[in-house]
Amino acid sequence: MLLPVIRHGKMLTGFLLSCLLAALISCGPGKHDSQMLRIGLMEEPRTTNVWLASDANSRKVLSLIYQPLYTYDPDTLDLAPWLAASMPEYDPATESYTIRLRHAKWSDGTPLTAHDVVFTVDLIRQFQVPRYYAQWQFVEKTVAVDDQTVRFFLSQPRAIFLTKTLVSFIVPKSQWAPIAQQAGSTKKPLVALMNAKIPKPLGSGPYMLEQWRQGAFLHMKKNPHFFGKNLVICNRRLGPHADAILFKMYSTADVAILALKKDAVDFFWWSIQPGYIDGLEKNRNTKIFLSDRSALYYMGFNVRHAPFSDPDFRRAATILIDKDFIIERVLQGYAASMDSIVPSENIFWHAADLPQYGHGLSREERIQMAFRLLSDAGYTWDRPPVNAAGKVVSPSGIILPSGRPMDAFTILTPPADYDPARATCGVIIQEWLKDLGIPASTRPMSFGALLQRIKDRQDFDTFILGYGQLSLDPDYLNNFFHSANDRPGGWNMSGYRNPEFDRLADASVQAMEPARRQELVWEMQRILMADLPYIPLYNPVAIEAVGTQRFEGWEQMIDGIGNIWSICRVKPLAAPM
Amino acid sequence: MQNMTAKQAPRSYKVQRFLDGWSLFYENLIGKIGLYLLILFGLMAIVSYIPPHVDPMYHPMTGVDPDISYASPPSARHWLGTDNIGRDILSQLLTGARVAFLVGITAAFISIVIGTLLGMVAGYGGKILDALLMRLADMVMVMPSLLVILLLSVLFGQLSIWTIVILIALFRWPAVARVIRSQTLTLKQRPFIDMARVAGASHLRILFRHILPNVLPMALLYMTFRITSAIIVEAALSFLGFGDPNTVSWGMMLQWVWKTGHMFQAPYWLLPPGICISLMTLSFYMMGRAMEEVLDPRLRKIRKTDHAAT
Amino acid sequence: MNMKKLILRRSIEILAVFFIILTGLFLLFHIAPGDPVSMMVDLTMTPEDVERLVAQLGLDQPLWTQYLYYLKNFVTGNFGTSFHYGRPVIQIIGERLPATILLFTTATILAAMAGVWWGKRIAWYKGKAVDTWVTIFSLVCSTLFLPWIALLSIWLFAYWVGGFPLSGMMTPELWVVPDTGIVSKAADVAYHMLLPLMTLFIVNTGSYLLIMRSSMLETLKEDYILTARAKGLTERQVRNRHAAPNAALPVVTSVGLSLAFSVNGGALTETVFSWPGIGRELIFAVSNSDYPLAMASFLFIALVVLVANLIVDILYAYLDPRISY
Repeated sequence: MLLPVIRHGKMLTGFLLSCLLAALISCGPGKHDSQMLRIGLMEEPRTTNVWLASDANSRKVLSLIYQPLYTYDPDTLDLAPWLAASMPEYDPATESYTIRLRHAKWSDGTPLTAHDVVFTVDLIRQFQVPRYYAQWQFVEKTVAVDDQTVRFFLSQPRAIFLTKTLVSFIVPKSQWAPIAQQAGSTKKPLVALMNAKIPKPLGSGPYMLEQWRQGAFLHMKKNPHFFGKNLVICNRRLGPHADAILFKMYSTADVAILALKKDAVDFFWWSIQPGYIDGLEKNRNTKIFLSDRSALYYMGFNVRHAPFSDPDFRRAATILIDKDFIIERVLQGYAASMDSIVPSENIFWHAADLPQYGHGLSREERIQMAFRLLSDAGYTWDRPPVNAAGKVVSPSGIILPSGRPMDAFTILTPPADYDPARATCGVIIQEWLKDLGIPASTRPMSFGALLQRIKDRQDFDTFILGYGQLSLDPDYLNNFFHSANDRPGGWNMSGYRNPEFDRLADASVQAMEPARRQELVWEMQRILMADLPYIPLYNPVAIEAVGTQRFEGWEQMIDGIGNIWSICRVKPLAAPM
Repeated sequence: MQNMTAKQAPRSYKVQRFLDGWSLFYENLIGKIGLYLLILFGLMAIVSYIPPHVDPMYHPMTGVDPDISYASPPSARHWLGTDNIGRDILSQLLTGARVAFLVGITAAFISIVIGTLLGMVAGYGGKILDALLMRLADMVMVMPSLLVILLLSVLFGQLSIWTIVILIALFRWPAVARVIRSQTLTLKQRPFIDMARVAGASHLRILFRHILPNVLPMALLYMTFRITSAIIVEAALSFLGFGDPNTVSWGMMLQWVWKTGHMFQAPYWLLPPGICISLMTLSFYMMGRAMEEVLDPRLRKIRKTDHAAT
Repeated sequence: MNMKKLILRRSIEILAVFFIILTGLFLLFHIAPGDPVSMMVDLTMTPEDVERLVAQLGLDQPLWTQYLYYLKNFVTGNFGTSFHYGRPVIQIIGERLPATILLFTTATILAAMAGVWWGKRIAWYKGKAVDTWVTIFSLVCSTLFLPWIALLSIWLFAYWVGGFPLSGMMTPELWVVPDTGIVSKAADVAYHMLLPLMTLFIVNTGSYLLIMRSSMLETLKEDYILTARAKGLTERQVRNRHAAPNAALPVVTSVGLSLAFSVNGGALTETVFSWPGIGRELIFAVSNSDYPLAMASFLFIALVVLVANLIVDILYAYLDPRISY
């Protein structure tokens, strides 16, 4: 066994080496089709089942297949008809919306009708599909008036119907009805639905799935029946112009960046770190896109117990946190400072004239200001951070107004592998708080454990979290701060309770008229920024890179160029490869 | 070392033995290189306390250069440049040496203590105890330890540097236990053990007074190899982002350079920590090999590979 | 002790160990904070959504029930369904394990063969300068920090020099063309393996070389080598026919052990090279609380290691009759 191996080791090695050499010679970097758009992904998509898809990459791929009734206009961020032919017509008497559809087709050539829309809504409601059910829950009845017209009856006026519900996608009845029927007859219908195998998802988008080799690549072909072909929507003539899309997986951003520089991929669909910008700008093959995002990175307090229950304490902490420092250093300047829960990039909903705590002050001035605020509120120190002469010194022994010394507490952050910026922020903020004698220490935790502790067990002090993709509709204010959502598993993680805020929030949910709702949302932000259950920190800029050698015409909008408009509009460069 | 070899011998003999061993060790080129490297790292670790006193901006974790807020190449103020938030890379590198020593030596020490104790007990106890402990050792030995620690780190939140040290130790004792066991088995046959037993010494006394001093050199040798593997595991964990974020280790530095996208943009940031990790493991490894030849050249046959223990 | 008995005993031991790992893993995953559903949570998910999902995934059952269920499923070969893929775990592992085995067994065999080849030669130069320098060089190579050197080699060979693929296991552009033959596909995979193999080769060969060298030196002292020499055989014959085959035994042992370690470090290598193997999958599954997938991948990795060890033991007993168990 072994002996011959060793004896012939030389021969075998030679053989193997020559095999490898032959392999090297026989295939250089594969010839490629100039009409094929190559998109890099950070991770492989997990599934083609749209109800299961919870990871960003599956959703990216599926967003090219399944299409919604409406989408966002890239310029104004208003609702723009997509599968629908025009804006919805409201009938106040019956509390219903009527929508007319375009003459669209599924990728197998069959027409997309009002019945598919009704089927989709009924499916979501029947199976109570997570993520989608909450958006359709208040839609009492969906009726196909005729093949091209559908009417939604609402049980009550809900502002999010227009801004969120109508932008969710439609699935084909022909493919899903049998699956739904079969799943419905099992003991665990929801899991059966979510685990149904969909090798060839049938959609109405610009591309359809051709081949998915697990672990290697995903190949999509142009959908010959795409309704948008040559149509002008939002002043944009749609393609798509690329014959096919090839999704390639790179599990580290570094390698993806090298691939961009070497023209092995045309677009890396992932917001990259600022560190890459220099190198990419120097390279003539690549181009950087910087786009605003609708995101929120913040520090949250557990306002259920002292000292975090004290608004003055939270204000003092806010004063100590130098957002500009974090943005300049940790995010290399590629982020916007936030003074509200609603990002300022969300022009319509963001309230102006909110307080900017400690803005422009030096470190010492911040410490002195926070010190004054806290000592006025009754906090004392064994050795105060500001001595009698007004000089900042190293403090010790901070004592609460109640006379008890302040307990050491933790700032929970996601782990560094998940988001290095937040973990670093935690360490920096911890040091700033220590300047005032506040005994904080950072503790990164795995994301699941973190959420469970904060959301379910509510056993925590403070945390730093973020939402990379905050919806444009400010409905999340409700989720985050309404007292009804202060329950185990609810999104009001801070435990913030304010009857005045609740009243405004309830009114805003029902306010169908945008101007009225805007006023309410502004008022809500003012209350929040005075009370500070969350300290908004920063809103990063989406940094994306494309190769310039083969395709052009990327469409930039909020959250970057990875959007349906880009996919429908990028054109191969005329020059032959 | 002299305190550890046979306690019964007169002092002069022990000193002589140590000196002989030392000259043997020092004649060995590999041992010499390892030693010099180690002294270099030791100096780095000691020097690491200085920069923060020069200027707070040289604090490895929290100090930032007031004028530099991006990754900058080496300059007069920052001999190895700065990282992306303006922290001095040199002072981080120096602190990294301290952390590496700390992690390596503590983890190795704990695993050696566990390994030696269990090995002695197994060898001396024999029969069922032996079988049980050795099966346990086999089991732990085949565990992909990096993955297990990673798993624990993900499941139970980010681990502190001390938890990581202890976990590394818990996975790295079996090889030691095996060797110590076989040594104990040979020692058990030796007449002086029988004599001690006849003289009415308790098992505990035999174990610690007579067997332990004789297996200690071996345990010490193994410690050098454990140190290398502990350093590598810590570096790998930190590199993947599962390290202790409040500690500036070389693996952590690599993680920062990697995750902030400076990998191929800032060689002055990428190269030093990698070189240091490699050289430090190398130095311990070389020391180990040289010591091994001093102690007993035939031992080489028993040892199995530990190198690939990333 | 005869062979059959040895195999039987070791197999039973392995089964017992496997069972312990199985139980340990189950406990670990279930006492750990953070439930699988919380990973799928985004803002659009309401607490009611979460509750429904938890109930449907059977995660609200008592621990005992879940454990028995798990054992029963396991025995029947049902490893459950991945929470994120929505596919049977066994399928995913079936896709990933071969990639891992392909890369790491090739790497280990190449490195071991090269180590034997060089080691037996270098033993002839004991005490000479070349011996010392080769030893130092091997030590330097084998202590290189793997992920670091892997990234450097990507940058150096795939980007700077060019000619090597950047990542992955295949060139998608080639595979999507329907008329690509099986030969060019295989060649494509081999081509993608070059760089990871090279890196692993650099890091692993040194230690095999050193083991082979030491073992060779030991062997050369044996009587039968003297006899062989006395018979008037050439040095080359003595080395290749008589000394090397026996001296290679420790290499065999270390191949088995280092296979275990390469699976360990494999997670790193696979991540850096975007190699679609099981180590990378395990890291993903673990950090996303995909329990069934994480447990099964871990079990399979453990199984591979255990079996590799078993084979080494058997091989060892077969090759070296002096060893008794």
